[in-house]
Amino acid sequence: MARSLKPKSFLGVFARQGLAIIITAAILLEATAFLQFYFSRRGIEQEATRRAESELENTEAEISGIMSQVEVAVKNNLWAVRNMLPHPDSLYDITQRILDFNPSVSGSAVAMIPDYYRSRGRLYSPYSYRNAEGEIASKQLGTDTYDYTGMEWFTEALTHPDGYWSEPYFDEGGGEMLMSTFSMPVYDSKGRTVAVLTADMSLDWLSAVVDDIDVYPGAYSLMVSRSGQMMVAQAETLVMRSNIQHVIEEIADKDSVSDALSRSMLSGERGRGTIHRGRSESEVFFAPIQKTGWSMAIVVPHHEIYGNVEKIGSLVALLQIIGLILLVMIIRQTAISMLKLRDVEERKEVIERELQVARNIQMSMLPKTFPPFPDRHDLDLYGVIIPAKEVGGDLYDFFIRGDYLCFCIGDVSGKGVPASLVMAMTRSLFRTASAHENCPDRIIGNMNDTMSEMNESSMFVTCFVGILDLTSGQFRYCNAGHNAPIIISTGGARALDVASNIPLGIEIDMKFEAQEATLRSGESLLLYTDGLTEAENEDSKLYGDAALLKVAGTIGGLSAKEQVDKIEESVRAHVAGAPQSDDLTILNIRYLGAPDAATDRHLVLHNDIQQIPQLAGFVETIASESGMPQGMAMSVNLALEEAVTNVIMYAYPKGKEGLVEVEAIIRKGEVEFIISDSGQPFDPTARADVDTSLSVEDRPIGGLGIHLVRKIMDVVSYARVSGRNVLRLIKKTQA
Amino acid sequence: MEIIIKSEQDNITALFSGRLDTPASLQAAKDIQPLLDQADKTIILDFSGLEYISSSGLRVLLTLRKEAARKGGKVIIRAIREEIRQVFLMTGFYNLFDIQG
Repeated sequence: MARSLKPKSFLGVFARQGLAIIITAAILLEATAFLQFYFSRRGIEQEATRRAESELENTEAEISGIMSQVEVAVKNNLWAVRNMLPHPDSLYDITQRILDFNPSVSGSAVAMIPDYYRSRGRLYSPYSYRNAEGEIASKQLGTDTYDYTGMEWFTEALTHPDGYWSEPYFDEGGGEMLMSTFSMPVYDSKGRTVAVLTADMSLDWLSAVVDDIDVYPGAYSLMVSRSGQMMVAQAETLVMRSNIQHVIEEIADKDSVSDALSRSMLSGERGRGTIHRGRSESEVFFAPIQKTGWSMAIVVPHHEIYGNVEKIGSLVALLQIIGLILLVMIIRQTAISMLKLRDVEERKEVIERELQVARNIQMSMLPKTFPPFPDRHDLDLYGVIIPAKEVGGDLYDFFIRGDYLCFCIGDVSGKGVPASLVMAMTRSLFRTASAHENCPDRIIGNMNDTMSEMNESSMFVTCFVGILDLTSGQFRYCNAGHNAPIIISTGGARALDVASNIPLGIEIDMKFEAQEATLRSGESLLLYTDGLTEAENEDSKLYGDAALLKVAGTIGGLSAKEQVDKIEESVRAHVAGAPQSDDLTILNIRYLGAPDAATDRHLVLHNDIQQIPQLAGFVETIASESGMPQGMAMSVNLALEEAVTNVIMYAYPKGKEGLVEVEAIIRKGEVEFIISDSGQPFDPTARADVDTSLSVEDRPIGGLGIHLVRKIMDVVSYARVSGRNVLRLIKKTQA
Repeated sequence: MEIIIKSEQDNITALFSGRLDTPASLQAAKDIQPLLDQADKTIILDFSGLEYISSSGLRVLLTLRKEAARKGGKVIIRAIREEIRQVFLMTGFYNLFDIQG
């Protein structure tokens, strides 16, 4: 259950992280987009304002330029009017001249104040104008039906010494067009106002000028008079029929904003405002014409100004959404890939763990307790497998049946789990085949037949099987394609002569040849797999047979384990840390010689102190047989007596009879005594040694015995084996 | 094993011969009673005939040495064989006794 939960929570974590990433990305994207949008919009707004304002300025300058011409025409002729006052008819000439010289002036009049020329009636106003043919015509304006004294251009001029532009009006009597009149008062020499000089200006061109304003395609322009009369407008129908309030009502929803806007425009201000109509908005830029107080406005729908930026904004938003969706997909995909990867890793771990278990099982099949037969004195045996990283197929095995040691070493071709399975099978086959069989060739043959029958994977095994007669050192062996073992003796080392034969598992019914050799006491039979001789260093140089023989030649006389240690050391020095590619297996069988049947080297005593002299006789015999010097014999005797006395005195409860067995083994250079009893567990070597430096008064009476044993013997070791106390004492007879 | 004790005026000589092994030491512990009784005197242990000694034998000698120390006597060992001397050395007994020759 734990495993199935893990990926889920992992996904949960990943989902949370993914969500965080997506939210962050979205916030960043949105913020960037917003800023970009905001600044572009502001830039565009500034640009629009700048463009509108400059258009307004240009247009104003253009209009002012035209109007100035009219103003100048009037101003320049004031003196002429004053000079010509005495000649009423000459005033026609002046008006005609004004028209003559100023094409933009459509009409001009000198309107005298009432009753100035009594002879001419109450009103007198010479007036020139352009007729339908474009010629200049003149007439007298002031009639009873046309009382100009109430006209705006007249009345306002009287109070505006610098001139006055009239409100636009539709000239129904004259040119049938929209006009504005500039008028200035004329003073006589005494400073009295005597007349008003006017020049009419057609406003037809104004429409053209204003229409020329071309800021944005969908924009339009307006011009309103001081009183709010629409002078120029997008819709011609509005002109002069409506005032600005109406127009703004027409183009915008009525609200305070548009009210304020029209007030601002009418009061001659410069600025901008926003008007709404339904859901659409428009920006209104406005500026006054200073001369007349008219107000000019450019109305630009928002979509004209911001259309592009809004389009880009939408596009950016769309791209962002696509980007976020992609991000979500990528994160999801990544999460899934990581899950898969994790799954693969976990599976790999499981496999590796299982392989490790397989290796442990494999290793546990091989005998690994050394020394394997602590009670035997004729055999010193040691084996080791140094496994490569991968599970391999090396094996060794041995057991004692009667007086025989059965042993084998093998190497399965290939590596990995298949090899380890075949290895396990090989080991079982060896055990089965050798259980009742003393002929190694038949053991090998049996193993071969079974393996060949079952061998569907074409794996084979090189194998060496031997049967050692522990009473004589003679051994029979059979080789199946395995490396030739080495015989190590004190004088040197040599490869055992082996018939190579073919490995196991290749062909059924093969005949394998058995051979025979003898191990002398102290000689070792070193079995190994090619992992030893083919151990490679960094330069792929093999350790080799020669190097092995050379080392083997120098280690005679050492114990089986020491010999193997030396060889391992030598291989390690060669390999120098290069990775091990194959299992390295060594099995070393050191034969220590059969007990000599001719000499009774076994003594059994009762737990009676009076038996000690028998022990002395036994030890004396052994001492002389082993060729000990006289002095050594006596001290060995002393040690034995001390050790045996210990058993007699303490092993058994008082009054209970028991036995003490003493066994002696004479070897080259040493004699070993084994003292054993079936009494209560007692380890004499565990006793603290006595302090021999104490004074007479302080010296305890006891404890001297084991002290002497330790002093005299070279090796003293105790073991409790199968309910028996076993004390082993070794004395080296040669230095 | 045999211990022959000869008393003189101021000292006692004990002549050891044979093997003073564990069984013999049991007997020897009884045999040296006269020596323990006169431990205020100078006791000379003649080892010229002593072939072997075990820790039990050493214990007998230690008992005598302790008694002499208590009573103000002396224990002198004479004519010790090399093998026995080795045992005395191994056990630190060499320093406990006055060993002459």
